[in-house]
Amino acid sequence: MASSQHVLLSPAELAYLHASLSLTPPIRPDGRSPTQFRPLVAETGILPGTNGSARICFADGTEAIVGVKAEVERTAQRPGEETVFLEEGGGGDGDGDDDDDEEGETGAQGDRRKGEASWVEMTVEIPGLRDDDSGTAFLSAMLSEALLADGEFVKRLWINRRFHWKLYLDIILISPPLSYPLPLLSLTTHLALLSTRLPRLKSEGDEDPFFDDDWAAAPYLFPRSSSSSATAATNTTATKQPATATRPPITLLVMAFGNNIIFDPSKEELAVADVALAVSVTSSNSSSNSSGDGENDEAASAGGRSLRLLSIRTIDPPSRLTPPGVPNAANAAYGAAAALGTQKMLEARTAETEAVEGVWRAPRGGAKRMVLGALVQKTLERGGVVDEVLDALEGVDLG
Amino acid sequence: MTDRRRINGPAGATIPPIFDDQESQEPKYSKGRSRAPNASRKMYLKTGVTPSASGSAYLEIETSATPDVSGLKLSCSVHGPRSLPRSAPFSPHIVLSTHVKYAPFATKQRRGYLRDPSERDLSIHLETALRGAIIADRWPKSGVDIIISIIEGDQDREASKLQGDEVWDMMNALSGCITVAAAALADAGIDCVDTIAGGVAALVQDAGDDSTPSIVIDPLPSDHEKVLAACCIAYMPTRDEVTNLWFRGDLPASDMDLYTTLVEKGIQASKNANRVLVNCLSETLE
Repeated sequence: MASSQHVLLSPAELAYLHASLSLTPPIRPDGRSPTQFRPLVAETGILPGTNGSARICFADGTEAIVGVKAEVERTAQRPGEETVFLEEGGGGDGDGDDDDDEEGETGAQGDRRKGEASWVEMTVEIPGLRDDDSGTAFLSAMLSEALLADGEFVKRLWINRRFHWKLYLDIILISPPLSYPLPLLSLTTHLALLSTRLPRLKSEGDEDPFFDDDWAAAPYLFPRSSSSSATAATNTTATKQPATATRPPITLLVMAFGNNIIFDPSKEELAVADVALAVSVTSSNSSSNSSGDGENDEAASAGGRSLRLLSIRTIDPPSRLTPPGVPNAANAAYGAAAALGTQKMLEARTAETEAVEGVWRAPRGGAKRMVLGALVQKTLERGGVVDEVLDALEGVDLG
Repeated sequence: MTDRRRINGPAGATIPPIFDDQESQEPKYSKGRSRAPNASRKMYLKTGVTPSASGSAYLEIETSATPDVSGLKLSCSVHGPRSLPRSAPFSPHIVLSTHVKYAPFATKQRRGYLRDPSERDLSIHLETALRGAIIADRWPKSGVDIIISIIEGDQDREASKLQGDEVWDMMNALSGCITVAAAALADAGIDCVDTIAGGVAALVQDAGDDSTPSIVIDPLPSDHEKVLAACCIAYMPTRDEVTNLWFRGDLPASDMDLYTTLVEKGIQASKNANRVLVNCLSETLE
């Protein structure tokens, strides 16, 4: 697995790292504050052959490229549901009915759209790992889970009752994985989806889809609230749902050392983590798809966005695989050899159960639920790291 | 990665036919949940079912969709601890490898012989859950294989359409996997810090009243109109620690209480499963 790749640190180094990260305030090896991200360079629209693309380069040299390709695909019809037959959709009488329905139900348009998780296909490619590696499968499952969790995203791929867009998200890490690549891949996917445009639909109803060949008129998959007027005029999705400014999810890596909570860990920090969580969050400024309107009003008045929690996964921290240190009491070089055999065994057993100050031991057991709760709370708090990251990503020119 | 060793059927999506017999003519509506919100389903657990493995266990959970029909069936075998091959690099800890595989006939949609991404994903979740429980440094230079076959998935076969709830079924399967693997590990005599068991809790919306979503333990997606969020938890009761937390759904971030309650209920579900596990293990001791 990618998170548990070998870290070449001695037990003494691990103990030192853990001690300095457990201080209040924690001292990180690269001097960042607990909530600070590594600096990054981001650009979008780098691949002209795709519907949307992005590239992010972290300061430590890891770099990822995401390309989004869309294809029109026929929706599998299921018997028993509102099956659409070609005669019904193409016939003059039925067609007229359909048009009337749509004009009458523009408000209910959102309800008719439905999507399936199979419309999104995500592949993750990490150099040095086999493509059927479990870690890669875990990463892609985590990223697609966040995208599909609320079921709203796949609805955007709905064209009509017979056709849909099939979206291929290809995530490629082009540098060797110098740290656990989850935050990098997630941010790159976020930007690529933000820059994704689908051709403007010209056909109506359940006809075979027919698209505008003017790429400049193509609406964005995620319509933005502050888009230019030209885009907004041609943007059919935006005119249907003017208030929506939902953004694709981002997944953050959070870890805990004792009582300290640290974001965006580097490889060395992850190697001594007690607990590591991947938390996926999305933000929406709309009040249409959420239950509590009061909260949203508050959020809007506070100038913030309303965050929604999409998924949480525990990451197996590689600290469990690190070699343990040997305390002096059990070390032959420090006179432990003089003790008798049985006594030595006893001492070795106490060394296994008791923690000695300054001697590294791989963490055993899980995390207290309070710690897990605090990790999630800290991630989701208003004006916290998520807001900071989303603000920073808004600054990226989407071409 | 495609399966090139066997002749598989065409990949095109076809729908299995639904025959028009008397029973299926009336549209089936979900009857709703017949259990109390805090009640788990009945569970059968037995260790030592595979003589050739060093530890094994079998788990069966009843389905409440149709009475007297069993739902999830899991079989787990543990091979090891055994020495690593000479070519493997030195490891100061036991090397844990987990395999979760659905039988091709376990779910409504046939699974191939090769593990698909969701099965790999399940095995990583299981590995995370178990690695916290096993005292790994007692077996340096050795490895253990934990192999789980899901003989029958937890699905309502009567329903005509795929409800898009395979994800939620995966959570139920994972919680079963964790419990059965813990029993098999104990049967193999591998030291663990505590018995670990899995539990699922979900925030569901029922068909009748669309007013308030409620939190239930051990949900069956076919019982409910919609599952809004669910979490699967691997929990060790004596140490009061969580080794794996998997949450999925859509919750407003301002409502942390809802999330906390969901996790608490998940822990309660895993405590229920743990009682079965401890009973089963103490029975084998007698």
